[in-house]
Amino acid sequence: MSEPSQPLLEARDVSKTVRGPEGRLDILAGVSLAVHAGESFAIVGASGSGKTTLLGLLAGLDVPSTGAIHLGGQPLQAMDEEARADLRRRLVGFVFQSFHLLPALTAEENVMLPLELEGRDDARQRAHDALDAVGLHARRRHYPAQLSGGEQQRVAIARAFVHGPRVLFADEPTGNLDQRTGRHVADLLFALNRDHHTTLVLVTHDAQLAARCGRGVELMEGRVATPAAAR
Amino acid sequence: MKLLRLALRTLRREWHLPELRTLAASLLLAVVSLGVVATLASRVERGLLASAAELIGGDAGLSAPQALPPPYATEARQRDLAVTRSAGFPSVAFAGERGQLLDVDAVDGAWPLRGTLELAAHGATSAGHGPAAGTVYLDHRALVALGLGVGDRVQVGGQELTVAAELVSQPDGGQLFALAPRALMNLADAQRAGLLGVGSRARHRLLVAGAPAAIGDWLAWVKSRPLPQGAELVTPEQTQQRMRNAFDRAGAFLRLTALLSALLAGVAIALAAQRYARRKTPEIALLRALGTARARVFALLLATLGALALPAALLGVLLSWALAEGAWRLAGATFVHVPTALPLLPAWGAAAMGLAVLAGFALPPLARLAEVPPVAVFRASMARRVRRVDALYLVPGLVALALIWSQSGSAKLAGILAVSLFGVALLAALLALVLLWFARRIAPGAHPALRLGLAALARRRGLSTVQATALSLGLVALLLLAVVAPALLEGWRRELPADTPNWFVLNLQDDQRADFTARLQRLGAQELNMLPLAVGKLAAINGKPVDQLHFADPRAKEWADRQLRLSWTGTLPPSNRVVTGRWAGAHPPDAEVSVDTMWRDMFALKIGDRMRFDVGEGTLEATVGSVRQVDWSSFRVNFFLLLDPAHASDLPHTWLASFYLPRGHADALAKLSRDYSNLSLVDVDALLDRVREIVAQVGGAVRWVLGFSLLAGGLVLAAALATSAAERRHEAALLRTLGARRGQLRLAAACEFALLGLIAGLTAALGAFGAGWWLGRAVFRLDDFVPPPVPLLASALAAAVVIMLLGLAGTRKVTRTSPMRLLREG
Repeated sequence: MSEPSQPLLEARDVSKTVRGPEGRLDILAGVSLAVHAGESFAIVGASGSGKTTLLGLLAGLDVPSTGAIHLGGQPLQAMDEEARADLRRRLVGFVFQSFHLLPALTAEENVMLPLELEGRDDARQRAHDALDAVGLHARRRHYPAQLSGGEQQRVAIARAFVHGPRVLFADEPTGNLDQRTGRHVADLLFALNRDHHTTLVLVTHDAQLAARCGRGVELMEGRVATPAAAR
Repeated sequence: MKLLRLALRTLRREWHLPELRTLAASLLLAVVSLGVVATLASRVERGLLASAAELIGGDAGLSAPQALPPPYATEARQRDLAVTRSAGFPSVAFAGERGQLLDVDAVDGAWPLRGTLELAAHGATSAGHGPAAGTVYLDHRALVALGLGVGDRVQVGGQELTVAAELVSQPDGGQLFALAPRALMNLADAQRAGLLGVGSRARHRLLVAGAPAAIGDWLAWVKSRPLPQGAELVTPEQTQQRMRNAFDRAGAFLRLTALLSALLAGVAIALAAQRYARRKTPEIALLRALGTARARVFALLLATLGALALPAALLGVLLSWALAEGAWRLAGATFVHVPTALPLLPAWGAAAMGLAVLAGFALPPLARLAEVPPVAVFRASMARRVRRVDALYLVPGLVALALIWSQSGSAKLAGILAVSLFGVALLAALLALVLLWFARRIAPGAHPALRLGLAALARRRGLSTVQATALSLGLVALLLLAVVAPALLEGWRRELPADTPNWFVLNLQDDQRADFTARLQRLGAQELNMLPLAVGKLAAINGKPVDQLHFADPRAKEWADRQLRLSWTGTLPPSNRVVTGRWAGAHPPDAEVSVDTMWRDMFALKIGDRMRFDVGEGTLEATVGSVRQVDWSSFRVNFFLLLDPAHASDLPHTWLASFYLPRGHADALAKLSRDYSNLSLVDVDALLDRVREIVAQVGGAVRWVLGFSLLAGGLVLAAALATSAAERRHEAALLRTLGARRGQLRLAAACEFALLGLIAGLTAALGAFGAGWWLGRAVFRLDDFVPPPVPLLASALAAAVVIMLLGLAGTRKVTRTSPMRLLREG
């Protein structure tokens, strides 16, 4: 696979340290990786290895203690939270393990949310299209509590894709689902990744799911144990 | 025991939760506001009753047209009460060639049991009791009319008596002035003279005095059996009408304010309990999943609530006592001259009521909490399914109604408050729903921040409605207290302006008028008003002599026997309102009389009836032309019967004058009084002062309660905003993750809270205006009272701004929520 010269997402020697009750705690140390546009990239590792922290840093939800992260060519560590929020709105979509749909909103309204933040007038139409794409158009007026776990995650995927992000971050997207539903959701994620040419960054400890990604890294106690390589 | 220990442990662990602290603080506030007001009100009432008792000469009693049977006195003595008997009747006294009709009170040696009988003899004044046998006390007018001095002999009812002293003042039931000169004689003398026998026009009284509990017990005994024919209870509450109005209004004000702050606290409790229930849901689901029985879960919740509530209520009681005592020392003692002890019971009653409020408002969500299904441990959404119509939620409504009923002391006040508050709640909920519906419709085309804010409100439709309703109820209570109550008080105060006539002059003759008026004006008297006064008797109605007529109302006979005060004027006096018929004016073709509503009812009079009056040697027959509603609480001279001047002015009459003279002119007036020895000058400053002091006292108490209410209002606001804090935080984190800017979130929150504040402020202003208007008329009898719309609206808008600012301040933390939170939550 030939790589484009400029990665869409790049981390260089990133570390994250926090202060805990027992003093300094290194969550990540010296992590470097690069993800190119249209790729699917897995971050795997045991619980507590720092996967989610790394995902948060890559998505600009937090800043590294040292090192540099570039998203879409922009240095995240040099930007304040507001600028990062702006960048996220334009470039990023999220899928969470616990779906994080707003319980008081219908499926359709949940999907509209990122578009409303952008102030787009065609929010409803695009939300319809997105729900169509995940096969939930008929259930667009349902509230999250009226949907199954798999359906909720499909709504979350529709919400993640609706504004056409360049990168989709997914944190254990199938972790709360049974195997069959999980497979369907994963199929959907990869199909959208392929059809929309969206870069997919996936955190999982599901080896099968990780195996479906083009490349990935394995973290162990905050360090890269297996460097990124084409799979 | 184990349960209690577990409850205490739970409480210790959860004490840091804001909703538990709000619960405790709300309960504390409810108890303290109810307790302080109830304690103060009870003490003020006791003091007022004690001062009113001074006006009637005893704590309570009976009055009847015949001597009261011995058991009434025996029962009183058995309860260690002091007893006195007296009888009042008109009688003509003679001294040499002169005769004078007197208002005579025949009293025993114990009279008065309360208050002071002031006597003057040989240049010195002293306090005394009823005259000894063979002696009499005469007032200044009687002495002048009969040409007597202290030590002289006078004949009353055929008995030769010695004038032992001049009667200066006596407990007289708060009468402004007596029609005829007054005399006090010994009861035994009157009995011997046959003045009190069958057929006499005497009004007999039996008064008792003693410990409040014993008085209450005696009154209960009296009320437990039929009263003797024509007998009436005499209680301090039933003293002079002017004072009674003041008592009623004062009581209504105090109860209203305490009630509103307790309801405010109830709203805060309800909101905090809801939030607590939501927070506890996963824990309860876990307990249930682990096999804890529903009943045990409920018992644990109740025990935790009890462990929180009982100490808070106890603290409330202690604080109520301390604050009530402090307030009394600051203000109360200057007003009520009679020493009173701190009443301890009302604060306990307030604690019980506070606990009832807590139980009523907090129980429904907690009871529902016990029903959380164990499966909710797997899916939180299972626990969120709330039944839309839940009979349990009637409980707070019923508690509020019971509270309103028990505290207001008046069905009218209770009804108005209940309807107003219910109306405000309904209006707020409706307005919130309509605006939210509207918000959804306009949201797509609105500014992004406004759209987000509207969307946020619309998203939490249920919560937003609860918030708007709670805030409206809180605000309406605050507006009623802060804007309407002072305006009502001001209306009351205006009824007694500074230049309210404080002197009355009786017995002014035609030829004295001009000179007397000129001298008064030189003294600086203002508001001089003179009315003719004729004394006569009702002789016939529609041609039938009154002694042949039978009336259903027993008072009619007494009034028919009495000497009546008649007056005439061409213009309707200020505190009078014609309710039926037409005011005659100065020159009607035939003689007309205008009667007040009490007379209409007593004698079953209607327009067109003819009444004949005997005045001196003459008679006058007049047609009833109008019926008047008279405000007897005004300090003006009012008459039951008003004739037209064209036909009445020839009747033999004197003049009655009222005027305002600033204080400090007593010496000049005394000289005036000496120069016109036939006149009676009556000073009503003391009575005016008393009413004004009641107004001031109530104003002070309202301010006290307002302080508590503001705190309770703050709690409601905090609790209302806190109800949505958790959702807000989660939402903010999600929106941040999706790229929302902090400014965008803040602006959205500002729009959201401004809208919420606007809904609450507008409904509250409307509600307070309506309730105030209604209360003013129906309860406080201020017929022209209009709640001030501008301050109400301004306060409502200010409250909306405060809600917005506080809401924004509360969301600061929320907008700073790290988006990482979501990833960490999974």
